[in-house]
Amino acid sequence: MKGILISMKVTLSAFFRKPVTRPYPDVHKPLPETDRAFPILLWDEAHTEPYCTGCHACERACPVECMTVLMKDNPNHVNNDGTSKRKKIIDKFWIDYARCMRCNICVEACNFEAIAMNNTWSGHETSVYDRKDLIMDLPQLLAQHRSGNIDEWVVS
Amino acid sequence: MISFLVVNPFIDSLLKILSIVGLMTVSAMGLIYLERKIAARFHMRLGPTRTGPAGLLQSVADALKLVGKEDIRPASADAWSFELAPYFVFIPAFMMFVTIPFTLMLNVEMLTLGLLYIIAISSVSIVGWVMAGWGSDNRYALIGALRAAAQGISYELPLVLSVLCIAMIAQSLNLNEIIAQQTIVPNILLQPFAFFLFFTSALAEMNRAPFDIPVGESEVVGGPFVEYSGIRWSMFFLAEYTALLIMSILIVALFLGGWSWPFGEKLGTSWQILLTIMKTSLVIFLIFWVRVSVPRMRIDQLMNFCWKVLIPLALIQIFLNGLILVFHLPTFLLAVSSIMLMGVLVLIINKSMQNLNKNHIVKNNLESA
Repeated sequence: MKGILISMKVTLSAFFRKPVTRPYPDVHKPLPETDRAFPILLWDEAHTEPYCTGCHACERACPVECMTVLMKDNPNHVNNDGTSKRKKIIDKFWIDYARCMRCNICVEACNFEAIAMNNTWSGHETSVYDRKDLIMDLPQLLAQHRSGNIDEWVVS
Repeated sequence: MISFLVVNPFIDSLLKILSIVGLMTVSAMGLIYLERKIAARFHMRLGPTRTGPAGLLQSVADALKLVGKEDIRPASADAWSFELAPYFVFIPAFMMFVTIPFTLMLNVEMLTLGLLYIIAISSVSIVGWVMAGWGSDNRYALIGALRAAAQGISYELPLVLSVLCIAMIAQSLNLNEIIAQQTIVPNILLQPFAFFLFFTSALAEMNRAPFDIPVGESEVVGGPFVEYSGIRWSMFFLAEYTALLIMSILIVALFLGGWSWPFGEKLGTSWQILLTIMKTSLVIFLIFWVRVSVPRMRIDQLMNFCWKVLIPLALIQIFLNGLILVFHLPTFLLAVSSIMLMGVLVLIINKSMQNLNKNHIVKNNLESA
């Protein structure tokens, strides 16, 4: 009998507590800084070009071969009356998010700190109707950092 | 009483029927929504939020879905009892609405023996449950139906006995008269034990937790309703929530003074409705609260509790009430006797729980040795 009253007290205290669940698509749980979604490319604001030089280091390191990299001569190089010190620059870059297993190896392999793991919700909410849409091209990969949505720690 | 067009009795009764049906469906949908929301808060969840503002349209969406679903009947089912069972559960719930007193003037038909009528009608639904269980040709359904029958018939007795306690004090079976007599002192103060009896056996009658063994999902996967789908299943659900509403209004009328306590008959009709609704909501909240707090009982515990504890104590209460009323002893003795019986009940429960623990410990020691 006492047990019933105690259990009723417990449930009543739970009634007045804040719910521990969130209505997910409306309210996002704050992600930890070290959250690791999908890799994105970073944008060098100083020279208005990507950090990536298209060196293929990440492509070779990728265990699931989800990347395709093409490089070109940098039109913005100092020799061409430009401002950048990069001789080569990325021309085309595709990452197949359907294939990527988010292992972070590309980030570790990169010599120019040009690639990073997305640590925002946009990196997780990537559902599409056609799996072809999951193959991201260069503008899509750069867009996140270019618009300033990525926290600073990823950059360094 | 509701009288829309007294000139034509047919239109009058038609409108009454329509208003009952409307009230039933709307209140059932509202109660389902509230139960989900309140139970969610008890679990520290949010409950439905997606359909409409704060999930308000969830019940409407569910109802639409249920109506749109295919009405499946198992090939081996007994066609007649399977198809008729929902009506046997639904119609008694519908009929109980007739004599429910919302206010002094507002009810469909005030019967002189209203209480007896409600008690009699409410037990008819057991037939529907057994028909559903038998007709489904499903073991779970049959076990659930037999459990429902055993439990329903057993708990009918304490329910009637507790009502009898009140009827003895009120000297009437007319619900409006019973309420009118409670203007100063609600019956719960005179008969707390009868209130406990009625509350417990009403929970068992409605097959709600902790007495929901006929529909216990973890044991009989939903009891007699396993094979039902679509509109027939929703009729069972509708009947269940209507029974919840009616039992709560009945508790309010019998023990909490209905529209009468504490302001008396001079209160306007709309205020009386508000008072009734507020009290009913409190009782319903209490029922939800008990549901989320207390674990489901076992069938033998349930039966023991009913036959060995509740019914003897209820009979003692009736006997004491009779003594006090026949010999015109002071009224407060009613409350004293009731509180004493309540104490006896608590003692018995504590004792049995201690024995349970002792047996458990002995058994564990034997096993470990």
